[in-house]
Amino acid sequence: MAKRILIVDDEPRYLRLLEANLRTEGYEVATAQDGVQALDVFSAHPIDLVLLDVMMPRLDGFGTCQRIREFSSVPIVILTARGEEQDRVRGLDLGADDYLVKPFSATELLARVRAVLRRAQPPAESGQARFFTHDDLKIDFARAEVWRGEEAISLSATEYRLLLQFAHNIGKILTSEELLTSVWGAEYKTDKEILWVSIARLRQKLEEDAHNPHHIVTRSGLGYLMPPTES
Amino acid sequence: MDNLTLSFLHTVLKEVQSKHDWKASLDTLFTSLRGSFVFDNVVIFLEDPQTKSLDITYARAMGRGKTAEADAAWGERVAMEVLSTGKLVLNVPKHHGRGEKSRMDKPHLLGMPLNIASKICGALIFIRFGGPEYSDLHIKIASLQAFWSAALIERRDLQVARAELDSVQRQMRLQDDFVSTISHELRTPLGFIKGYSTSLLRQDTTWDDATQREFLNIIDEEADRLTRLIEDMLESARLQSKTLQFKFSPVRIDALVRDVATRVNTHHPNLKIEFDLETLPQVLGDGVRLSQVFENLFSNAIKYAPGSKLKIGTKALGKRVLLTFADEGEGIPEDFLPFLFERFYRVPGERTVTGTGLGLYICKQIVMAHHGKIWVESVLDEGTTFFIELPADPTL
Repeated sequence: MAKRILIVDDEPRYLRLLEANLRTEGYEVATAQDGVQALDVFSAHPIDLVLLDVMMPRLDGFGTCQRIREFSSVPIVILTARGEEQDRVRGLDLGADDYLVKPFSATELLARVRAVLRRAQPPAESGQARFFTHDDLKIDFARAEVWRGEEAISLSATEYRLLLQFAHNIGKILTSEELLTSVWGAEYKTDKEILWVSIARLRQKLEEDAHNPHHIVTRSGLGYLMPPTES
Repeated sequence: MDNLTLSFLHTVLKEVQSKHDWKASLDTLFTSLRGSFVFDNVVIFLEDPQTKSLDITYARAMGRGKTAEADAAWGERVAMEVLSTGKLVLNVPKHHGRGEKSRMDKPHLLGMPLNIASKICGALIFIRFGGPEYSDLHIKIASLQAFWSAALIERRDLQVARAELDSVQRQMRLQDDFVSTISHELRTPLGFIKGYSTSLLRQDTTWDDATQREFLNIIDEEADRLTRLIEDMLESARLQSKTLQFKFSPVRIDALVRDVATRVNTHHPNLKIEFDLETLPQVLGDGVRLSQVFENLFSNAIKYAPGSKLKIGTKALGKRVLLTFADEGEGIPEDFLPFLFERFYRVPGERTVTGTGLGLYICKQIVMAHHGKIWVESVLDEGTTFFIELPADPTL
């Protein structure tokens, strides 16, 4: 089955350049001109590799990379300008698998794509698990939106990150230290109060009855978890 | 603390804090406490960190003797003593005089040290002409005012420092942006040239004729773009370093802009241009450079207000001439207007392949070299107008 590559670049001329070359190699190509469009396309088709320009205005490349990584381990190659080492490092830190420096030659591009695909895991899952459900709770990873039934829930960035920890670790007990470190950072490792308040606020927003939580449950002395649903 | 005092303090605190200007805060502080602590003059001296001399930062005459000018009336000597001892200084005359004249000669001075950022760097001086004596209660109230004044001054200093920091940060960001923008701007056409040419050079595939022509055209266009970009950058660099030579001679702006308009019309026959030109006195200017400015305004209007009618007007205003250049396009949001003339600035959301982001910056440099002014007004959905004002030389 032909591999499908998603190209994200705000310059139509780059899209043309990349698409023309990739098609000669038998790849299927999907394109997007900004990060928001990219996430939509990404969630709609199975994608085997993402070529991502990091200099776009609306939802910049790094933001898009981060957002994709929140719910997929698809190979990402960022397109960046030479000399901007911080770009390369930042991209790799945010989860990109490799980078390609502009200006690049067509043969260089194709070789890099081949190499990254070779290293990648087996085939992409269809639709990249864009949605997550837990009883009446639904998360749309692509849009970073959270729903309780029909109602859209507004979460702060921190609350969302906290919720993601549970969504990605269903059935696993997460200790306070783990949560504090991954959501707030190492300096907050022992700042229990912040975690208590945030979990309380999250429960207020997500639970039917905050005192009888079903989504985020406390395990005394151990930590918190999102229990697996009966389905 | 009794309720009366508490509510009084509450009111005073609230009033003082409600003022955003430190001087207004100090005014409120001293007037509202004047009921419990009367004085004629109040002065704040601050030590200048560089020269170590005492400067009067704040002074108010609130009571009798409002016209007093003698240095004793403002307490400089007491201030110096406060600063050197770091302590409260009380300076009362040896004899109590009677009558207006002798009362003014007998000022009672109370000096309090001002402790700002853990350093005694100023003095708060209260002056009463002819008494009464400063009681212990008065001294307590005065120290309260001293603490408070110090806090208000520190706040003022911090506000100034923060504004400066914001400005420096902005400059640095602009500089960073500038460097990375140049790098981005140059790399974009280079990237295309490299990408499309290496595509054609690939040995493992062939391209059909139509595609080959398409790619070669792109390479050609991008090479042109790169050329324009480099020229603009060099020009703006020369303007910036003031090494660009201008050739000044008498110029008729109205005639010049008409010429440029005619030239533009030949390339863009569908462009509608309306003129409202007054005959202008001559301007001492570089015709070539000024034409460049007009050409840039035309090209911006074509790019950003495509299809719009252009209205060009000139007006003689005594010693100056005014040129207006108006389009009926989408307009530019007010927030972006102050930045329009900065290097590489592009209105967010605008994606033009052909703009260098230097046009208006270069225009501004040229206009300024003519001792003129250029500015812009814009109303969303109605249009944008550029104004250029140049000094006229009626002797020409």
